[in-house]
Amino acid sequence: MKKKSVFMIVTLVLVVGAYSGYRYLYKDHRNIAEEDAVFTGTAQQIQERFAQGEGDGLLNQTVIVSGTVSQVEEGSVTLDEKVQSVFAQMPSVSEGAQVTVKGRCIGYDDLFEVVKLDQSQLTTQ
Amino acid sequence: MKKILPYLSVVLLLMTFTGFAQQKYITKNGEINFEASVPSFEEVKAKNSTVSAILNADTGEFASLALIQGFRFKVALMEEHFNENYMESSQYPKAIVKGTLEGFSMDGLSESTTEYSFKGTITVHGESQPLETIVTMAMIDGNVEMNSSFILKPEDFNIKIPSIVSNKIADEVTVTAIYTLSEK
Repeated sequence: MKKKSVFMIVTLVLVVGAYSGYRYLYKDHRNIAEEDAVFTGTAQQIQERFAQGEGDGLLNQTVIVSGTVSQVEEGSVTLDEKVQSVFAQMPSVSEGAQVTVKGRCIGYDDLFEVVKLDQSQLTTQ
Repeated sequence: MKKILPYLSVVLLLMTFTGFAQQKYITKNGEINFEASVPSFEEVKAKNSTVSAILNADTGEFASLALIQGFRFKVALMEEHFNENYMESSQYPKAIVKGTLEGFSMDGLSESTTEYSFKGTITVHGESQPLETIVTMAMIDGNVEMNSSFILKPEDFNIKIPSIVSNKIADEVTVTAIYTLSEK
């Protein structure tokens, strides 16, 4: 009887351990859409922050940026020539539209002097 | 003398303008893939499709910038380790390639691919190394298509891979770059 319960406990620990190990190794990607933004502002504001070298705190963080669409490309939209927002699912927007996007800030591109966001989506907030 | 001066300044001004009127081809959506998989282990592979690049069509000078955070892996934990432990992307957020396509001329481009040799430097993880590679180029619908593939070694860039995982990550990382550059 005692042997049996020890066996049961060991099996349970192994199963739980294997399951949580698996969950750790193969955890889901972040869901940017559901995260709270650490920065909310205009394209101009976020670009200035990076241009002045103070943007490091925003790297890999969720941000909400608003501005006027200055360029529409395949898979991405540029706001006020200052923020390039890459979409997983491209919305239908046209140049000149006023939009707000939520996305993950991946850094500052010195070549074009734009801040880049990925996993973006349009938001109404 | 007084009459010549205004003319001279106009001529000089025009000269500076022509100096700026270089033909440039750019993209903000270039793609870089890399793979460091070892057979029978988990695939180590990532893709960045937000790579910026500029080609100066007059001189063949080329520059490209990839944000390290922009590399996406299939496995979230791998992406996390890549950024935090190996590339230290908060400290070194970008990878940069700069150099020249030897013997490049726009006239040499056509719909069929032409090969050029590229010589320059690559900076990853704060370390610069010389880079020489073959680039295939073509002109399709007014856009310059550029493709290249080369091999990098993490140790050359001072990227330390712990021995516990070193047998699961290849010593040589195959990098593939694809750009569609449009005229600025």
